[in-house]
Amino acid sequence: MKARTDREGASRPRLAILGMVAICQRAYLTLWRQPVLIISTMLFPLVYLLILGNALNRQLRHIPLAVVDEADNALSAGCRRGVMALASGRELVTAVFEADRDTALADLRRGRYRGVWILPFRLSSRGPAPAFVGDNTERFSYDTLESALSQIWGEVARGRAPEAIVAAVHLEAYPYLDYLTYLGPAVVCLSIFMGSMVSGGLQVIEDRMYGYHEGYLVTPISTGTLVAGHILAGSIVASLAGILVLIAVLVVLPGPTVSHAAVAAAVATVFLTSVSISSIWFLLFARARQASVLRGMFGIINALLFFPSGALYPVESYPPWLRAISSVDPLTYGVESLRDLLLRGASAATAYPRWVFLATFSLVCGVLTKVLFRREV
Amino acid sequence: MLNWGSMSRWFTDSRDRSLSIEVDRLTKRFGDFVADDAVSFSVASGETYGLLGPNGAGKTTLIRMLTTLLPPTSGSAWIRGHDVVAEKPAVRSAIGTVSQAVTTDENLTLEENLSVQGKMYGLWGHRLSERIARRLSQVGLADRGRQLTRQLSGGMRRRLEIARGVLHSPHVLFLDEPTTGLDPQSRRAIWDMLGELKADDPALAVILTTHAMDEADFLCDRVAILDHGRVLCEDSPEALKRGLAMGERAEIETDHPVQQVDRSGVEALGAVNWRQITPTVMEFQSRPGEGIGRRAAQDLEERGYRILHLTIAPVTLEDVFFSYTGRALRES
Repeated sequence: MKARTDREGASRPRLAILGMVAICQRAYLTLWRQPVLIISTMLFPLVYLLILGNALNRQLRHIPLAVVDEADNALSAGCRRGVMALASGRELVTAVFEADRDTALADLRRGRYRGVWILPFRLSSRGPAPAFVGDNTERFSYDTLESALSQIWGEVARGRAPEAIVAAVHLEAYPYLDYLTYLGPAVVCLSIFMGSMVSGGLQVIEDRMYGYHEGYLVTPISTGTLVAGHILAGSIVASLAGILVLIAVLVVLPGPTVSHAAVAAAVATVFLTSVSISSIWFLLFARARQASVLRGMFGIINALLFFPSGALYPVESYPPWLRAISSVDPLTYGVESLRDLLLRGASAATAYPRWVFLATFSLVCGVLTKVLFRREV
Repeated sequence: MLNWGSMSRWFTDSRDRSLSIEVDRLTKRFGDFVADDAVSFSVASGETYGLLGPNGAGKTTLIRMLTTLLPPTSGSAWIRGHDVVAEKPAVRSAIGTVSQAVTTDENLTLEENLSVQGKMYGLWGHRLSERIARRLSQVGLADRGRQLTRQLSGGMRRRLEIARGVLHSPHVLFLDEPTTGLDPQSRRAIWDMLGELKADDPALAVILTTHAMDEADFLCDRVAILDHGRVLCEDSPEALKRGLAMGERAEIETDHPVQQVDRSGVEALGAVNWRQITPTVMEFQSRPGEGIGRRAAQDLEERGYRILHLTIAPVTLEDVFFSYTGRALRES
C-alpha cells in the first residue's frame, strides 16, 4: 500500500529542522501580511530617538539671569563682561542688570529669573566673592548657570579676561546630534525589543488563546524544537526590525566611517541580541495564557531591560544594584557592542566575548523554557 | 495489572494492529471532579466511532487524553498499539486532529497553512505540494489555495481544518464537533467529504464527537453515549434504536376531544408515554418494534372521531440519547 509508506515517522533531525522552518515560515509570512506590525515596531524606536534626542540633550539657552553689581570695581566689571559674553556669544543667558538686590531676589521668587548673581560691596579675590542665588526647582538651569558663573569668577579673580573661556565654547549648528548618535545603538536595541515582543511574546499568547498552539502540540515535533522554533521565529522578525533601524541610523546620523567588517559584526550583534530578547519573552510566557499578562509585563520588562542597558545614560554612573541588573541584561551587551563597532571604530573581535554572553544567555533561557513549557492544554 | 505504559515498547509489535484505538479504564480527575471515569472502548481500523454526550460529559477531555494533550489520571490507551503516555511521538505521528479551536492562521493562504502543517510531519518539497493539492481538492477548495484564509466562510474554514487534519495521511482522525455552527449545506458537504476520505483510505479510523444525533446516525458505524464521564451504552445506531424501550412516536389531532374510554382503547393497543397536549391533540409512543400510530388512528376513526392530523415519527438516535441522559438541562 503506497499510502502507508508516507505514514512512517520522519527521522528526528529532519523533523526538528522542518519544524523550526515551519514556525519561522509562519512568523515571516504573518509579518508581511500585517505591515502595520513592522511599521509600528520600527516607528516606536525612531520616534523615541527623535523625541528623546531633542528633548533631553538640547543645550540650554536664554536662561534669564539678573546681575546685581554692588561692588562697582574692576573685578565686578570683569564679571559683568563675562556675563555679557555669555549672553551674546553662547546665548546661554539673557542678562538683566538690576540695581537693587531685594528687587532682583523678589523677581527670582516670582519666576522672572532663574538666577541672581550678586557681586557684593568690596568684591575681591580674597573675599567677599560673588554670591549665586538660583532657582533650584529646575536643576538643569541651576547647575549650568552655577558652573558658568563660577568659571567666569575663576578667570576674573586670577586677573584674566573672562571672555576667553566663554568664547572657547564652540557652537554647533545641530547641537543635539551628538546625543542622537549616542542614542543610535540604543534605538536599534529598542526596535529589537519591540520586534521580539510583537512577533515572539504576543504571538505565542495569541496562538494559545485562539488554539493555533494546539495544532502544533499534536504534531510529532519535539518540545525542544517547538521552543527553539518560536525563539528563532521571534528573533527573525526582531533582527529584521533591528537591521532596518541600523541602516537608518548609519545613513542618517553622522558618525565615524564604519568598515564592512564592523557592519557585518553589528548585524551579527543585532541577531544575537534578538535571539536573547526573544528567549526572555518566551520564557516569561512559557505558561501564560492571557494577553493581559503581556500588557502588564510590557512596561516592567521595558524598564528592566532598556533603562539599565546604558542605552540612554552611561552604566558606570549607576548605583551598584542597578549595575547588577545591567550586567545580566542582554541589551547592555547589544548596546555596548554596537557602540564599539559603530561609534568607536572597534574591530569585530571586541564583540566576540559579548556574543558568547548573548548566546549563553539565550541557551539558558531556552533550556528553562523547555523545562517549564507545558505541552498539555 | 501489567504496566503497559513502560512495557508497551516491547509489546508494540504483538498488540493487535487492526485495532486503531484501544482505551482501557481511562480516567481523568480534576481535583474532586471526575471528567472521565474508567472509560473503555476500542475502535477498529476503518471504523467511524461516535462519542455522544451532553456538554460536560467528558468527550473533549477524552479526546485530549487520546491526542496526548492531557495526561490521564489512571488507565491506559493505545493508538495503533502505541501508548498515549509512554510513546507520544509515535502516537502524534499516527493521528490527525480537527479540534474545536481554529488552528489555521487567517493571515496565511490555504496553501501556506497546509505547508506549515506538513513540515511539522516531516513532509517537504514536491511531495508536500502534491499532498497539499490533493487534500485541497478533496475538501473542495482546490481553486482557493492562494486565497487568504481569512476570506473563507465558516464552512470552508472547517473544511480547511479537515484538510489540515488529514494532510499527513493519519491512521486515526479525531473530529471534535466537526459541524457545530455550520449551515445545513456546509454540514452535508462535510459529511460527504468524510465519506470520500474514507473511500480514499478505507483503513482510516475516525473518532468524532457531536451533539447532532442525525450526524452520528449518518456517519458512525458505532456510537457510545457518554454522561458524567461514563460510557452509558455503546453499539451501532441501529442496534441502539432497536434496544430502546419505546417505538415510534405518534401525534394525532381529532375534531373533538377524546373521551377517557376511547383513550383507554388506544392505550390497550400498546401506547405508552401518553401526553394530552390539548383536548384534541395527543401524543404517545409505541412499544419497541410495534408501529401502532396508524392503527390507533383507524381505531379512533371507527369510534367516530375525524382525524385532522396524524404524524408518525420513527425512533431516532435522539430518543436513545434522551433515554440514557434524561432531559434535564446540564448546569456548568
